[in-house]
Order: sequence, then C-alpha cells, then structure tokens
Amino acid sequence: MAKLSLKHIYKVYPNGVKAVNDFNMDIEDKEFIVFVGPSGCGKSTTLRMIAGLEDITAGELSIGDLVVNDIEPKDRDIAMVFQNYALYPHMTVYENIAFGLRLRHIPKDEKHPNGKFTKEEINARVLEAAEILGITEYLGRKPKEMSGGQRQRVSLGRAIVREPKVMLLDEPLSNLDAKLRTQMRAEISKLHAKLNTTFIYVTHDQVEAMTMGTRIVVMKNGFIQQIDTPKNLYNYPENKFVAGFIGTPQMNFFEGTMKREGDAVHIRFAYSEAEVTVPYSYFYKARPDYLDGEKQVIFGLRAENISISPAAVKNSPAVIRFKVSHKEELGNETLVYGDINMEGDGYVESSTRIIIKCGEDVDLMPGDIAEAALDLDRLHIFDKETEESILPRIPQYNYLQAEVKGGKLHFLGEEAELPPAIFCEDGEYQLLLPSDAICSGGSIRAKLVSSEKIGDQTLYSLEVGGTRLFSVALTEGDAENIRIDMKKIGLIRNGEEVVRPMPLTATFGGVMKKNKVVEEVEKKGKTVQKKVIRFFLDIEGVDFPAPDRISAKLISALSARKAFEKQLRYECSAYGLTVTEKGIPAKVLRIADYGTEKFAVCAVGDKEVYVKTDAELEGEIFLTPDFETIGVIQADMDIRIV
Amino acid sequence: MAKKFRSKKAVERGSNAVIYVILTVISVIWLIPFVFLILQSLRGEPGATTNYFFPKQWTFDNYIRLFKNQGISASTGEVVSTGSYKFMNWYGRTLLISVCVTVIQTAIVLVTSYALSRLRFKLRKPLMNLMLILGMFPGFMSMTAMYFLLQLLGLTQDMSIVGLILVYVGSSCMGYYICKGFFDTIPKSLDEAARIDGASRQMVFFKIILPLSKPIIIYTVLTAFMAPWGEYMFASLIANGDPSYWNVAVGLRDMIQREQLTAYSDSFQRFCAAAVVVSLPITILFFLLQRYYVEGVTGGSVKG
Repeated sequence: MAKLSLKHIYKVYPNGVKAVNDFNMDIEDKEFIVFVGPSGCGKSTTLRMIAGLEDITAGELSIGDLVVNDIEPKDRDIAMVFQNYALYPHMTVYENIAFGLRLRHIPKDEKHPNGKFTKEEINARVLEAAEILGITEYLGRKPKEMSGGQRQRVSLGRAIVREPKVMLLDEPLSNLDAKLRTQMRAEISKLHAKLNTTFIYVTHDQVEAMTMGTRIVVMKNGFIQQIDTPKNLYNYPENKFVAGFIGTPQMNFFEGTMKREGDAVHIRFAYSEAEVTVPYSYFYKARPDYLDGEKQVIFGLRAENISISPAAVKNSPAVIRFKVSHKEELGNETLVYGDINMEGDGYVESSTRIIIKCGEDVDLMPGDIAEAALDLDRLHIFDKETEESILPRIPQYNYLQAEVKGGKLHFLGEEAELPPAIFCEDGEYQLLLPSDAICSGGSIRAKLVSSEKIGDQTLYSLEVGGTRLFSVALTEGDAENIRIDMKKIGLIRNGEEVVRPMPLTATFGGVMKKNKVVEEVEKKGKTVQKKVIRFFLDIEGVDFPAPDRISAKLISALSARKAFEKQLRYECSAYGLTVTEKGIPAKVLRIADYGTEKFAVCAVGDKEVYVKTDAELEGEIFLTPDFETIGVIQADMDIRIV
Repeated sequence: MAKKFRSKKAVERGSNAVIYVILTVISVIWLIPFVFLILQSLRGEPGATTNYFFPKQWTFDNYIRLFKNQGISASTGEVVSTGSYKFMNWYGRTLLISVCVTVIQTAIVLVTSYALSRLRFKLRKPLMNLMLILGMFPGFMSMTAMYFLLQLLGLTQDMSIVGLILVYVGSSCMGYYICKGFFDTIPKSLDEAARIDGASRQMVFFKIILPLSKPIIIYTVLTAFMAPWGEYMFASLIANGDPSYWNVAVGLRDMIQREQLTAYSDSFQRFCAAAVVVSLPITILFFLLQRYYVEGVTGGSVKG
C-alpha cells in the first residue's frame, strides 16, 4: 500500500534524446493511473523508470516514503506485467509464478530458518493466485502450450503473487485480439478492486485508458499534456492534443476567428462561408484578447455535441450549413461526415470537416446540404499556434480596462491605492489581473456568483460592477470583500507593458566546480592538515560550498565528470535570497514598496533581482541564496536537477 | 478455347525429380573421399597406393597395428614397434587439449556474448569492432611471437598441452558473433521480468538465459571442440620435437611423409585407419547433439 511521488523526473539518453521531460505527479494509494499517448511519447520509459529498469537522469522518485532512485528493481516492492508476457519458456506455469517467491528473501525466523518461503507457503500462494485468475488447470503446462490470453493471465499471476505495493502494467493487452482485450480489461479492473493496490498502466489505446483509469496522464513527446480523471479529460481538455486524442470519433476542429460586439460574439469559420453570432455569456472564461476578430483560433466540438434534429436547429443560436459526404452506420447510431465548406469533401481530416453523431435513422444522402446546431456549452477553443485552450477551466488572467489617476487605480467603478512600487503616468490602461491576485479581505465589494472545485483549487466567479471576475485565491466564506495583490498585476498601454508583475524568481548562471581545499582533520587525537576535494557552486562567479544533496544530484544526473563542464542555471525566489557579508555582489537600484511587503531591486550583472527585505538597503550589497529552496537547472538541455 | 493447364502435382513431381537427381550426384561426389578412406583403412595389401578402388584383401590389421603402436617397416617389410611414435598417445593428448579448450572456450564465449548482448557500456561498440578487425588477421601471423613467449614460460614441447590450450583459448571470445546474435533474439523483457522477480544478473544468466540457449551452447561446444581437434599449424610448431609431444594432426601428417610410403610399408593404410578413428568423436558428438540444433526452445516465451 503505497503512495508514489514523481518529482521533476527527466530521462535523457546518452545520445541526447530527451524521452521524458519534467514529469511531476503524486499518485495516491490504490489509484489506477493510466499513462496514455502515441508511441514514442515517453510513457513506457516513465513506467520503466518506476520499475527500476531504466535509470532516472534527474528528479526524485519515491515509493511510500522511500526515495528509490538508486534501489534495485527487486527491492522496490513492485511487480510488472509486460506486453509480450515475458514468461520463462522453459518453466511450467506453476514454476513461472513461483519463481519470484523462491528467490525472495524474508526475515529469518523459526518457520523460515534460511530466510526463504517454505514450499507449503509458496504452494498456497501460487494456488491462490491461480484461483483468482482462473488458471488452476493450466499450472502444469508450459507457456508455449497456451493461448495469448492465458499467457497474459499467467503473467498477471506472477505479478500478484508477490503482493507488491505497486503493479506496473506495460501495454499488457496490445497483443490480444479485440474481444479478448475487452474481457481482460474488465478482469484487470476487477483485479484492481480486489487487490487494493496502486496500479500504473501504460497504453496507447485511449479507450482502455478511459475505461480503466481513475486518473489518466496524457503524454506527448515526453511532456505531460494533462493529468485528470477520464471525465475531466473528455470534458475539459487543456489543449488541442488532448482534445483530439481522447474520444472517438475524433473531435471536430474548425479554424476561425471570434469578434466581440457588445453582448454578442461573432464567430467566423475559416475556409467556409459559415458564421454565427452568439451571446457573449458563453465566453466569460475566454481570454478577451482573442475576441478581436483577427487572432486565429481553433474551435473544437465533439461529434455528439452537434445535432441535426430539427428541434435543436430551430432553437439553437449557432446553426451552420454543411454538405453531407458519407455516412457510417454503426447500428445504434450513425456518424454523418460532411464539410462546412461546400467545395470540400468530408473524407479527409481538415479544418472544415464535420462529423456528427446521430441516432439510428438519418435520411440524409451524400451531397445533401443540411443544417447543424452547435452546442456551445461544450465548445472548446484553442490557440492556433500554441494549441492551448483559451477557454480554460481556471482562467489565468482577468482582462479589464483601468485608469490610473493620482496614484490610484480605477477599474470597474472601484478604486485601489497603487503602492509606491508601481509608478506610471496617469491615463487609460489595460489591467492584467491574474486570478490568484484577487484575495479576500479588502475594500472592494464583490458579488459571489458561483464557486466550483477544480482539482485542488476552488474557482470563484465574482461580479464587480457588472463584470465577471475569476479568482482562485479567495478564502472560503469571505468572497464579498476583496483586495488586489499589487505584486502580481500588469498594466498595458498601447500594447506595451508599462507595469510588469513582480518577478518572483531570479535566475543566475554558473557551473559546479571541484576544488582542492586544505582542511584540518582530527586524526588519532591530533589535528592534521589534509587536502580534500570539495564541491562548489559557482553562482555568478562567486563560489559557494555545494550542499552534498545538490552536488550528489548533479553528479549523478550529469554523469560524473561532465557535471563540471555543463552550464547551470540557478533559480531563487525573492524570498530565498538573503543579504550577507559575502556573496553575489549586487547593487541596490531602488526599493519596491508594495505596501504590505518591501523588496530591494538589485542589479546583478545586467539582471534585475528582487530581494525581500525589511531594512532600507542601499549601495553595494552581497546576496546568498537559500540552498534549501534553490532550483538548479542544466542550461543547455533544460533539465531541472534540483 | 479454354487454355489447357498442366496438373500442379505433375509439375511438382517433375521438378522434384530433377532436384533429387542433382542432389544425389552432389552427395556421391562428396561421399567418395570418405568411402575411399574407409576402404583404404581396411586394405590388406601392402604398399602406399593401389590402382584399384576396392581392396582385394580385407583386414582389420591396420587398426590393430595402429593401437598396438606397431607398423610394417618401410625398408624391410617386417612388423616392428614404432617406438615413441605412438598414435594412442597423440590421440589422448589431443582429446585432453580439446576437452579443456571446449570447456574454457564455451564458458568464455557465452559470458562474452551475453555481456555484449545485454550490457550497455561505452566501449561496447569499439570493442566489438576491434574484435571483428582482429579476427580478420590470420592467426599464424602471431605464430612465431607466440612460440617465443610460450618458450619463455616453458610451455612448449613437453609442456605443449598447456601451451596449446592457452593458444586455442586465447582468442576465443572473438567468436561471440553467432552466440550474441542468438542472445539478441531472447527478449530482454525476460531478463527484466526475472530481475523484478528478484534475480541477480548471474541468476538471470544461469536460470533463465542458459536453459533457453541449448542450441547455441551445443553449437559453441561443437565448434570449440572441432578447432583444436584437427589443428595442425600451431601444434606443429609448439608441440615440435619428440613424436611423443605431437597431436594427431601432426602425427598423421608425419605418417604420410614420402620416406614412409614404400612398397612394403602400411603407413598409408594406418593413416587412413587413424583418420577414421579421429573422425569418430566428432561424428558421435554431432549425432548426439544435433537434435538440439533443430529444437526451438524460445517458443512460447513471447507472443507466438
């Protein structure tokens, strides 16, 4: 019974290929986690790193409370099921299952004088596992005398007989035929319920992922795309990749633009005549800068959220015309393929193709022109370049119009004192208000419209002066009076950032060094001078003794000697820098006073660094980073090592 | 009009007939030397050669004299002892060398191949290339150097058994190719499954890989045995000197020296008898072990 935690896990192969990038995840006990993604996305590599079959380049993997980076697979208390079953062909099924138990060392006691399981115990456990999986009658057979499904059952038996903390399954069903796969899928789910252990399951099949997982990790090119429950992945994909990967038939994607006109939004689809005008209320969470009628976006809408029923078409505000190209009749439902471009053909995937899931009987014929109603509640919008959702569940920013007048910020009919740190000319600005900058306890009156729990955050929808604001930083039960955390706001004038949010982290450059140091060592009661090798972190040209934790991680991640050649990047938060007598030389430029907190703005080289301070600092100072919280990143490969 | 087709079976029968005729001719050509050898070893008439194929007198005397270390004198035609010229002695020495080499070489080849197949280390590729290139040089290039080195160590002539074993075993890991190729076909996931099951690398090798590798072990054993069994070049140099140091190849070669082959001597007949005796162990080994060649043992380990 164990939790798993993966912190900043990287896998870089010796040839420089980065297979896994900054994998962060906490897996709770008894969860059924599925890693899913196209081949080559790093899902198997991650699983093999958890199993201990692959070295972890950087990062920290813990099972239970134990960091297992350097622990042998057999000591990690895990079991693994392989895609090709990996049964020992020269052993019978019984021996295959018993193999692990025969090798296992257990504490010596009266019953186990040689620290091994007794024959009776092994027999009992093998029979029990065989019973669970229904392979008792095959125990005497060799693997080659069995079918694929039976072999995979033996392989599962070999895993469960170890009673592991974590079960790892690497595409266990992809060698089976479709019917058997469905059956084994259910059996594995049943097994999970029965064994009550953590399962981690790798697959490229999104149906498997959706049906089995309690949480799913969608991966692509070594990066996590989204971690969420199957339902949330389906309903709230964070980017176009997840939206397109999850669900069959694939989500419809249309290119187009949006333009806000008062309380309405005008949507124009690219490469097509289609356009609709819909109420703005559907787009509260959308970033306003995308509603300018110019920025290219991608609309995503699932096949079942488009309807051709006359009633829906009549009542919907968003109706588009399309030309039917062909139908796929699946018995209980029909997929109608078409194109919203009357010249296009609905056979190939394009930004005008439309797939509609309909009921049993559809009397449309190829070539017909029909009308379809779009369900805008289920509309997803993605940026065309970044493919990130611009209609996120938790909006990152609120965009408002504001005016600065006499050191005060006026917005939405309210006013707030600007702290001394923010100084700008009077005039009209665009206010960039992050959703975590709206905090409880202030003088601004707000009306709480709704609150919604999303993951471990709560999203509050507020109304201030008739405008919708989103916040994630409110205290529960205190949403009526709010204040703005001025550190985080930005002011934009004519497209130019006049006031930037305070940078919370400072970045330094440097390397790790190895120096010989003469140290006094106690030896047989005498103090002797001895040359020892010590590691130092060179930060902006200044050497700091490297804490063992950091130097050890650097050396293991960057394969020994190379650790001293690679350029490093250090990240310190404004709170993790202290002023000391020796350290990185910095020159105080000014004091940024945010009212409640003060920061010294220092120049280090050509960089501006914010340092939290209470004293009035001036002139030349020296900074020392806090090595407990410092982040160390290998610069050219961008690997977070600490 | 419908085209007339020839029966598929008739076509097959016709082409099979042709193939079998060709194969028969080839095998007859191949077999003639062996048959000749056996016939000569059973020939009763004296003299080096005859101008007929089948002997007129049949006898086992050649074999008996061979084992008794006797021969018919080349000059007088009387049966005399061959002195230190002892076939059974050569046979024993060669067998000892070959068995030792087989054991050591098989072990070395298996572990080298497994390491090169499974472990990933920096010098793996360069090492494999180096071995490939070194293997391209004929072994006798190093012969003189090897002789002097072994002489320094006192491992020539009377100690030539040890010397020859060292020479034959010395470069044995270079024969890793075929064995590594075989290990490469055993899925790595078997190793991984065993390691997760709690096996150390050694246990994986001995408990999982070796039981699956019977065919390749047999192959390695056979090749390791055959090489020193018939080796002449190094043996003629390192085991030089008194005939009691020789191995069978050197001894047999000496039997058919010109001066031995006179009208009276039985040297050639004994040579043929010896050749038959020499070929026995390999033949027996091959018949015993060949079934493993065919047996596919990895069946069922992975998707099948």
